[in-house]
Amino acid sequence: MPESRSHTRTDTRAATEVQLEDGWRVVVLNDPVNLMSYVVMVFKKVLGFDETKARKHMLEVHEQGRSVVWIGLRETAEAHVFTLQQWHLTAVLEPDEAR
Amino acid sequence: MKRVEVKLSLPVVAPLLDIIRELSVDLERTLAAPQALHDLDQDFRGAWIGELLEGQNSDLRSLLSLFDGDFFTEGVIAFDGNNAEPIVRACTAFRLHLRERRLKALGDEVLETGEIDMMGLEEPVRKAFMCYLFLATVQELIIQHLDSTIIGS
Repeated sequence: MPESRSHTRTDTRAATEVQLEDGWRVVVLNDPVNLMSYVVMVFKKVLGFDETKARKHMLEVHEQGRSVVWIGLRETAEAHVFTLQQWHLTAVLEPDEAR
Repeated sequence: MKRVEVKLSLPVVAPLLDIIRELSVDLERTLAAPQALHDLDQDFRGAWIGELLEGQNSDLRSLLSLFDGDFFTEGVIAFDGNNAEPIVRACTAFRLHLRERRLKALGDEVLETGEIDMMGLEEPVRKAFMCYLFLATVQELIIQHLDSTIIGS
């Protein structure tokens, strides 16, 4: 994937901003095309979920339109979003405002 | 290595390949699923999209290579640990693009449920929808038989 630029940006930020950078969500949005079995397989492959967890998040996407599948450092979150997009899931990055 | 061979009906599948080849030309320059990348700066976004496109094109080539000269003599396609992953992704890319370019009129509910009177559709839409279902069947076959190979790779 493209080299992340978050290192250089983070280095120049104030401590409070760095703290905010620590919490980023990877959110997968629903689409009418991808098969449920495909989404489960992608979650297992990309995020290392077991079958039960993968199905739970797939159903959340299907029924609620979105599921937060990962929370953590921005650089890793970007990597997950990129890989999920390689698998043609609609994945977005959001700041985790709950933290 | 586990290998799955599928014998297809040439008269049924050959016309669908025309659609797949047409879509592949479009997809050389377009992402199958446009992504919201508002949070990335412009340079990084360009590199990001470029890499997604490169991967998408590589996947599409894997799927198209299933239908080479041998396919038209034998009617057989084969999946294994080497091609299952790119092909299952390519099927999704084509299905997303079919929805965007050929099946908008059907609505998303029909695409999700597959419940529609095929004979009531006009020929180009019927052919596109058959292609959409064919690609889903290929995906289901791969996931059913090679899921653990893909996840473990």
